[in-house]
Amino acid sequence: MQLLSEVITQLSTQSETSAEEVSGLINRELTEILDQMMLKNEDITSAIISSLDGIAWAERLEKGFDQHRFAAMSSALLALSDNLCKEATTGETQNVLLEGSNGRIYVMHAGSNLVLTVFVRDGANLGITLAYAKQATSAIASMTI
Amino acid sequence: MMLDTNKIIFTGPVGSGKTTAIGAISDTPPVGTDVSCSDESAQIKDTTTVAMDYSYISLEDGTRIHLYGTPGQDRFDFMWNILSKNGIGLVLLVNNDHPEPVIQLDHYLDAFSDFIQETGVVIGVTRSGISDQAYIEDYQKRLSERDQIFPVFEIDARNSDDVKILVHALLAILQN
Repeated sequence: MQLLSEVITQLSTQSETSAEEVSGLINRELTEILDQMMLKNEDITSAIISSLDGIAWAERLEKGFDQHRFAAMSSALLALSDNLCKEATTGETQNVLLEGSNGRIYVMHAGSNLVLTVFVRDGANLGITLAYAKQATSAIASMTI
Repeated sequence: MMLDTNKIIFTGPVGSGKTTAIGAISDTPPVGTDVSCSDESAQIKDTTTVAMDYSYISLEDGTRIHLYGTPGQDRFDFMWNILSKNGIGLVLLVNNDHPEPVIQLDHYLDAFSDFIQETGVVIGVTRSGISDQAYIEDYQKRLSERDQIFPVFEIDARNSDDVKILVHALLAILQN
């Protein structure tokens, strides 16, 4: 048993077949975490887990959302936020909150090398939805394979 | 002194030296957004830019030039549009050690064609000492096939004088 973050780091050194097998397993486990989160809170309408460099690992996105673009945008946004927090000596980014006119988007670190992006319905309770998203990031961070 | 909105964009494929080039000439430590690579680019380098690099240089006359570097991978093409907005010119770096560097040149010239048309571009060929995939003439030949005339320089992205030549060449073009 190994921490997910370690498994992902070592993935590029493995043979293609074995890397594919492990990737499939990781995808299923991560999708399960997204399902659990969305089952507990219906205000979360979509979610995606991606790598820090913008590759989608698992998604439960609404039809029409492009997982590859969303993964890339999430990583870009989080990387800039990390920098701004660091330069402003605000510490580590806890989460990025985007308030749209039709809903909210949360982007946050999930373990050392993944990013969780959560899409929340307009009018949903900020604290509650944020708490479920945080719970999911903890589950991802402590996930072992 | 010109208005302080002179913004140059550095673009090009993964591993062409965009982050390095900006770091080589900037007056101040650049703002970077490097993270570990988990895609195929992990084979050529450890980290990759996911949002942007930013820094600036001051010219002899005190003009400040803002330098923005784009991510290389196509999946970040939304950043290409965001960063090139209000830019005055493009520095396109091409990694000569790539298996098909001339095709990469085409790809970025096409992706930035509107921006190039409105502004200007100079091309810097990096890592040219490593392999003989292509020579300066191959890039120039491709440009003439495209009916385009742009300056092409062989540069070392780590060398500040080399990168400054690109910037000065770009500024010279923009005067015309």
